[in-house]
Amino acid sequence: MGIIIAVISGKGGVGKTTTTANIGLGIALNGKKCVVVDFDIGQRNLDMILGLENRVVYDMVQVMDGEVKLKQALIKSKMSDNLEFLAASQTKDKSVLNSEKILNLVTELSKEFDFVILDAPAGIETGYEHTIEFADRAIIVVNPEVSSIRDADRAIGILDSKSQKVKDGGDVMKYLIINRIDARMVQSGEMLASEDILAILNIPLIGKIPEDKGIIDASNQGKPIILDNSSEAGKAYSRISARLCGQELPLENVELLKSGLMSKIKGMFK
Amino acid sequence: MKVLEVTLDDDKEFINFFDKNYLFFQHHLLSITGEVSENIDKYLKEKELKYIVNIVLPKSQKASPKVEVPKEVAVPKEVAVPKVQEEKKDNLRVLDTLVRSGQELNISGDLLLLNRVNSGASINIKGNLIVTQIVEGAIRCYGNFMMLKASPKANIIFHDVEVENIHLEDKLNRVELKNNEIIITPVLKETNWG
Repeated sequence: MGIIIAVISGKGGVGKTTTTANIGLGIALNGKKCVVVDFDIGQRNLDMILGLENRVVYDMVQVMDGEVKLKQALIKSKMSDNLEFLAASQTKDKSVLNSEKILNLVTELSKEFDFVILDAPAGIETGYEHTIEFADRAIIVVNPEVSSIRDADRAIGILDSKSQKVKDGGDVMKYLIINRIDARMVQSGEMLASEDILAILNIPLIGKIPEDKGIIDASNQGKPIILDNSSEAGKAYSRISARLCGQELPLENVELLKSGLMSKIKGMFK
Repeated sequence: MKVLEVTLDDDKEFINFFDKNYLFFQHHLLSITGEVSENIDKYLKEKELKYIVNIVLPKSQKASPKVEVPKEVAVPKEVAVPKVQEEKKDNLRVLDTLVRSGQELNISGDLLLLNRVNSGASINIKGNLIVTQIVEGAIRCYGNFMMLKASPKANIIFHDVEVENIHLEDKLNRVELKNNEIIITPVLKETNWG
């Protein structure tokens, strides 16, 4: 049985879908069979970020309703043979989901893949609750700012009370990703420091991702940033993927400013 | 205008207190009960603190919290309502879970919380409350006392009166109701909950 991981954040726009795409591809590049599922019914985005926009024929709602076979709806990625994708329905809305259908779907997926990654919708409504319902683990994506932290805190609270694993007396393993860290703003105190975020949320950190302008272009092109070896964000996603696959890598401190020539010159005038 | 009522017994202790807490009270009017020596007078002028001596001020119901210079600090004294205390004896809950945003604890007895209260979380409690880590959420307490340390973002209400957070920052504070007035006593000694 594969591991089911839900990628959640509470707040929208913090980088859930980008994280799902990059980590999914990262795990696949580590040699594990991985499927990413877009649970954002009615507002699908993951297909574009993975560059599979034009390949979507069937979606997960059709699979759940038995209209098509799972095999027909799964789309193989061009970037790795180990990565497959299941699209959300763009025309239906979240009310079509129910627990039994979701359980059948994720069970079937976890038989075929080592990792099943679910991209949750923003917010904490039923769409979110269904995404976390059968998850074994959760990746919580936050930005270093207060509203993102509070929303994530709320999402974790719901995860800890509504997931099936918790109802069965277990515990959903949680990992924190701090996304879009701007080293300069952290140093000047405008952005929350990682230690403060960890104190508030009290869950283990699996990686920090620096702000990277290349991500927008990467998303537009449908080529996840993890493929770009020169990008700091790409490298951060590679490290997180490796950690999820069981490798132990030290945490890189992305909040430290690179001491380039310019900052040295500026330093002289301080 | 905020007023700070102070009882002056010992000059040294008095100066010591204001050296430490000057920032809190620099814009307060000090109402001093006791004898103001030359030494103290000079000290207050130097610090540009305004003060009045031995004047009884009219007391409004919802006055800004009054802060007493604690004479014996650290261990809170027994609250002078033993009957209520006895009734609540078996009613203490101890929790060490984080209270997350959106969670609401409704508690009829007393609570000792050994973790944080995050922004967006709330605790409604009829009894006494002690929180050993920082409070960033909302507290409504109707007990004899509460002890906590709160961030400026927190919303602390004690017996339907909003407590000004500025008095609750930095250190653990004891908040209680005496003669219809809210009294905040900083627990000056570092409390190590170990």
